[in-house]
Order: sequence, then structure tokens, then C-alpha cells
Amino acid sequence: MLVIIAWRNVWRNKARSGVVIGSIVIGIWALSFGGGFMKSFLASYIQSSILHETSNGQIHHPEFSKDQDIKFSIANPEEIIGFLKMEKRVRKFCMRSLVNGMISSSRQATGVRIVGVDADQEAGVTRLDSLISQGQYFSDVSHPALLGEKLRDKLKVKPGAKVILTFQDINGMITAARFRVVGILHSSSLAINETSVFVLKSDINQLLGIPGAVHEIAYTTIPETDDQDLARSASLKFKNVKVESWQQLSPVLTFMQQWMGASLEILIVIIMAALAFGIVNTMLMAVLERVRELGVLMALGMKRSRVFVMIMTETIFLSIAGGPLGLLIGYATISYLGRYGIDLSDYSQGLEAIGYSDILYPALLTSDYLQIMIGVVITAVIASVYPAWKAIQYDPVEAIHSL
Amino acid sequence: MATLIKATDISKVYHKTAVPVHALNHVNLTVREGEFTAIVGPSGCGKTTLLNILGGLDHSSSGKVEIAGTDITTMQDSRLIDFRLHNIGFVFQAYNLIPVLTARENVEFIMLLLKRNKKEREERAKQLLHRMDMSDKLHHRPAELSGGQQQRVAVARALASQPRFVLADEPTANLDSASTENLLDLMAEINREENATFIFSTHDQRVMDKAKRLVTLRDGAIISDISR
Repeated sequence: MLVIIAWRNVWRNKARSGVVIGSIVIGIWALSFGGGFMKSFLASYIQSSILHETSNGQIHHPEFSKDQDIKFSIANPEEIIGFLKMEKRVRKFCMRSLVNGMISSSRQATGVRIVGVDADQEAGVTRLDSLISQGQYFSDVSHPALLGEKLRDKLKVKPGAKVILTFQDINGMITAARFRVVGILHSSSLAINETSVFVLKSDINQLLGIPGAVHEIAYTTIPETDDQDLARSASLKFKNVKVESWQQLSPVLTFMQQWMGASLEILIVIIMAALAFGIVNTMLMAVLERVRELGVLMALGMKRSRVFVMIMTETIFLSIAGGPLGLLIGYATISYLGRYGIDLSDYSQGLEAIGYSDILYPALLTSDYLQIMIGVVITAVIASVYPAWKAIQYDPVEAIHSL
Repeated sequence: MATLIKATDISKVYHKTAVPVHALNHVNLTVREGEFTAIVGPSGCGKTTLLNILGGLDHSSSGKVEIAGTDITTMQDSRLIDFRLHNIGFVFQAYNLIPVLTARENVEFIMLLLKRNKKEREERAKQLLHRMDMSDKLHHRPAELSGGQQQRVAVARALASQPRFVLADEPTANLDSASTENLLDLMAEINREENATFIFSTHDQRVMDKAKRLVTLRDGAIISDISR
């Protein structure tokens, strides 16, 4: 009957309880939407980084990441390629030659990373071909080159223009070669947009004097793959190379992922704290209005502990009554926006400058919804303690004779 | 008849104001089983204070109260709550039913605290409310009942736990004449037929007329004690 009394008490003042329940619904909806939005922001950044920069994993000579000297090429690329082809978790892979150098046009010169690629393999892994905003994706012209829009603006060139790439070959000799810009890349990735030049691997290897050399193998994996586990197992198999997952290649992404998780928790705490104050306020009003009734209950023989539990139960009912509705509306909002996206194209310039996509697709995991619901329950329990404690402080005689 | 309540040298002093207020001065009172007693006197004479002390709701400043041989003056709060639940029924001036419960649920509530089973609770609640001529109002909430009807439910609630005695503080103060007559007749009938002990505080002449014993208080002291 305590439960019945508590539940009926919630609805004694429908307007007041309605306001509290409404605020809880809005709070949970805001939490779901805010959490989904924040997560989509991060997911967009991580996906973009994996797709265009790190892939799901990369393989290098163990010394390459320290020195980046062209002599540190992978010793047994065929063997590794064979493994990647056999590995079911690997979707696509590509091989690259890498060398740092200088690019110059008739107007400007700047330092760049020259990336030698196999056109088809690269398109399969990084979808580099989809980034062409001007010109075309490699062509039959001799020594074709692709560069990002920012680098194009810096060098003041356009497709068809000639640029000179200067670098040291395997013998330490300064080598310069003429390349023709065939395509311009549009990307939110800073590396693609400003600091890299993509050429054919065969062209650059010939100029470097290391035909067939491979400095980097990048691979993508099928969804739900544990990339760190795959990197570990490949490392155990090939001792003379360094296999790294995207988490190791870009620790900042891992940090951002952890930070985003913490942010969601902080958001939950802030919103729940605000809700808790509203709940406590309402329940204190309810207790103050019922001083005489509480006094009577204690006079009749209801123990203080039972009165405490009754007020706690009432507060918890009030708090969690709006929970399912808030979650349902939040789920519906996230599902809809997750499907159709949030168009932030009005801010796309700023977003792209920091590597974000201009359309975000909010998403929350079941565990996130669970976390929110647990947050509501914890808030309800915490918010119920003070009103319940207040209710049992009254002396029955004084409470009965109060107005 | 056996002694039910024995109050010995009860005094109550309130220190809430600069000058202490002596609400009761060395009161001695014995109540036997089956009595139908009215404690009467003008407002502020100490009737409610005495009733609260006899019912274990308040502590006396000095003296001793024994109920069926048990000294309740030294009992701790939690034991006293339990003692009240098992031994004393209360009827208040303002009815004080639980507004969210129906008449039947209000009567059942006390038995629920006593951990009686559902069937027993329901049967006794129905039986008591029938006795109070409230059978057609079992599922009505207090707000749907008149003052007289609410007070009859309150009496049924007070009797639900089969207490040793019922304390009724100005039970008719808010009732009209017809309701007062009706309520008093019901309580007198229960007293007569079931030997239930009732102690009222009142300044209502109609209650005084029905009472078998009149204890008159003035300035915190008993000035007369007449059995009829």
C-alpha cells in the first residue's frame, strides 16, 4: 500500500507533477540529442581520418616512423600482401612510396610529402578518386600529380600546370623532376589539402632509384573489426615490420574518443543535477504541504523509516515517470537525424578547416541509452533523500496541530 | 474492571516562550477498561496535552504513565511508535484521513502496518465500515465524504487494530448536530457491546451528556472527577 500511496501522491497535484515530469522528458531528450550530436561530431572526424589519412592500419619498416628515410622500405612486401589477401578481416590494401621534398611552381615553392601510389589500389582504400574537385584522377599523361585545394592556392596553379618536385634519391643526390597537375583534391583533411602531393608510385620509385620499393602498406578492414587485435596478430607474424592500428597511428583520435565518452558523462551529470534541484524543490513543497498528514501517519504508528521510504518512493516515481517518454522521443530524434543527417553546410568552411564533415549523423548506442536511464535512476534516488529526511524530522504532535 | 491507564503525578512544562508554561500540574488519573470518559474544561486547560501524554504522542516533564502495566514515559521513540500502533486508536478533530486512499483503504492502512494479511484486512475494514453505516462509501475518498462520514471512517480506522483504548481529541468539534449525535451513538454502542474504552477531550455538551465519566481540568489540574 505504501507504493499505492506514493503513486497516488504523485498525482495529487497534477499540474505541479506535470511540470516536473515535463522537465525530465525535455532533459532526457536534450541529453540524448546532445550526446548523439557530440558522438556524431567525433565519429565524423574519426571516419574521415581513417578513410583519408591513417586507414584502419598501416605497415612500415620499424625505423621508418623515426627517420622517414627512403632507405627504410619494407623488406618483404609480397609476403605481407599475401597475408593481407588471406586475412578475412582485411577489406582492401594499398602500397605507397613516401619521400619528403619540395614542390615549386612558377610562382611559389613549399615543402611537401610526396606520396607515390598505385592509382587503383589507392582509390580502393582512401577513395582518393572521389575527392577530385577539378581535373581528373590520374591520367595517361607523363608524371601526373594530384594536390589539394589549399596547396593549389598556395602555388597558384590549376590542372594542366607543371610543377617541379625536388627530393633526395637513394644515393643522397638531389633530384628534380617535372610533374603535371592533373587533378585537384577537395578534402577536410589537412594532410591531403595542404601538405601532400600524390604521384604514381612507379614514377617516383624510378626517380628515387628504388624500383619496387614499398614504404607503407595501408589497409582497411570490415566493420566491427578490432583493429588493435588485427595489428597485434600481424605484428606477431611479421617481426621485421611495424604494424600499427589507427589508434596507435593517431593517439589523438583515441584521446578524443575517451574525452567524448567523458564529455557525455559530464553532460549527464550537469543535466541530472539541474533536474535533481527541480525534483527536490517540488518534493519539498509536497512535504511541507502535508506536514499534518505525515504527523498523523507517525501518530498512528507508521515508523519514521517507513515514512522515509514512502517519500523516497514518491520522489523516485515522480523522477522516473518521464524517463521512458524522454528516452523514446530522444531515440526517435536520433533515429531520424541519424538517417537524414544534420546539415551544417552554413558552417562548412570552419568545420572543414578543423577536419570535420559538414553533414553529421547523430547516433547513440544501446549502452548510451542505458547510461542515461541509469543516470535518471541515480538522480531520482539522490534527489529523494533530502525531502524524505525532511519528512521524518517532524514531531507528530506539532505536525498534527500545524495548519 | 482492570486498570488500563495509570497516570501518576503528571506535569508538563513548555519552555518555548520566555516564561515557562505549566500545561499540566501533578495530574493523577486512572482509567479502567470499558470506560467512556470525557476530559472536559475550557480551552487551554490542558485537555489535549493530557491526551497526547496518555497516548504516547508527547512526553511529560515529570511523572509516570503506565498502560496495561507498561511504563511508556521512558520508552524510546521507535518503541513508542510500535506501542501506539498495537495499543492505541486515535480519532482527531480534523479527521485526518489519508486523502489518496479510499474509506476502506484508510481503515485497512493500520492493519497493513500491523502486517495483517489481505483477506483479514479487507474483511475487518468492511465489517467496521458496515458498523459505522458506511458500507455504501467503501470506495469513496475522503474528499467525497461529508465531515460526519469522514469522522466515522476515522473511528473505524481507530478500531481497526483492536486497540486497548481509543483517544479522541475533540472528535465532534467540526461536526453538525446530527452528525455528532450519530457518531456519539455509534461510539457508545461499540463501548457498550464490545467493552471498548474511549477517552475524549471535549468542551461539547453533547459529548459530556453521553460520557459515563467526566474528568474536569482547569489550569492544568483535575478539579473534579465524576462517574455516572
